[in-house]
Amino acid sequence: MSILGLQGTFDTSSAYDGHDQKSRQAQRQADKWMLPGAVMMTTAILGPIGFPLFLKGVALQRKAAAAGLSVRPLICTLLGYLVIMDSGLNSIGWSLDLIAHHSLINRTLVTAWGNMFDAGYFWHYNELWIGGTGAPGEKSWEIALVPTVFCMRLAAAIGFLQMKRWGHQWLIVTCWFGVIYWVGYVANMTVFADLRYNHVVFPVLGWWIYDIFYITPFLAIPYLHTVNREIFTD
Amino acid sequence: MNKKPIVDQDRRRKRALAAFQLLIYGYLFTMFLIQLYMYSVRDW
Repeated sequence: MSILGLQGTFDTSSAYDGHDQKSRQAQRQADKWMLPGAVMMTTAILGPIGFPLFLKGVALQRKAAAAGLSVRPLICTLLGYLVIMDSGLNSIGWSLDLIAHHSLINRTLVTAWGNMFDAGYFWHYNELWIGGTGAPGEKSWEIALVPTVFCMRLAAAIGFLQMKRWGHQWLIVTCWFGVIYWVGYVANMTVFADLRYNHVVFPVLGWWIYDIFYITPFLAIPYLHTVNREIFTD
Repeated sequence: MNKKPIVDQDRRRKRALAAFQLLIYGYLFTMFLIQLYMYSVRDW
């Protein structure tokens, strides 16, 4: 490529291509640390290992940005990985309860969680014909949300991290899904509060201190609706 | 293109999003208060 067709005189192709290539490499290098870190954090148990890996990736991306390379905006990176972790954490916990409710790890972790915060995961646990939680309505949320919303959120977050237009659009769609399921889920927790917060170590307050983090996807909605859409490509 | 309508649209959008945030956090806080009330009247 050349400016005004003066080949060789104002040739900008090598500089532009070089910058583009370096930027892509730097982004890829940073994502190589951030993605495994985020995936490990979604398993909860491997979180302490995943967190430093993720931070290393963030540091690499910041370094690349400071060096003048065209990498993804930090807010997009944090938001995208936040959604990956949100969908991953919800999926793994509820999938264990849905299909692996009799496994040793599930019976240990989930009923311990139930004993501490939410008796929905302790009261009559594994006594339904389908197994797992016996809390009214809880099983329906698992069936409704894991194969639909959380899968869509994961795909949308990946597209968003690639700065694709569909990623941005689907993140908006699934964040609004998030509003609906949160309103429904919190209503369920409140209607059956006398069952779920009964005889647990940290009733009501404990659940809220832990679960208030789940509202973070709502914080993305104002950003997604006000960001300059031109930064996302087809 | 005239810039004024876009600025106005942006302002209205931000206001709507602020109202939405107030609504959703208000709802969550109300649910929390209901649970706290239930917790206080029953001797758990």
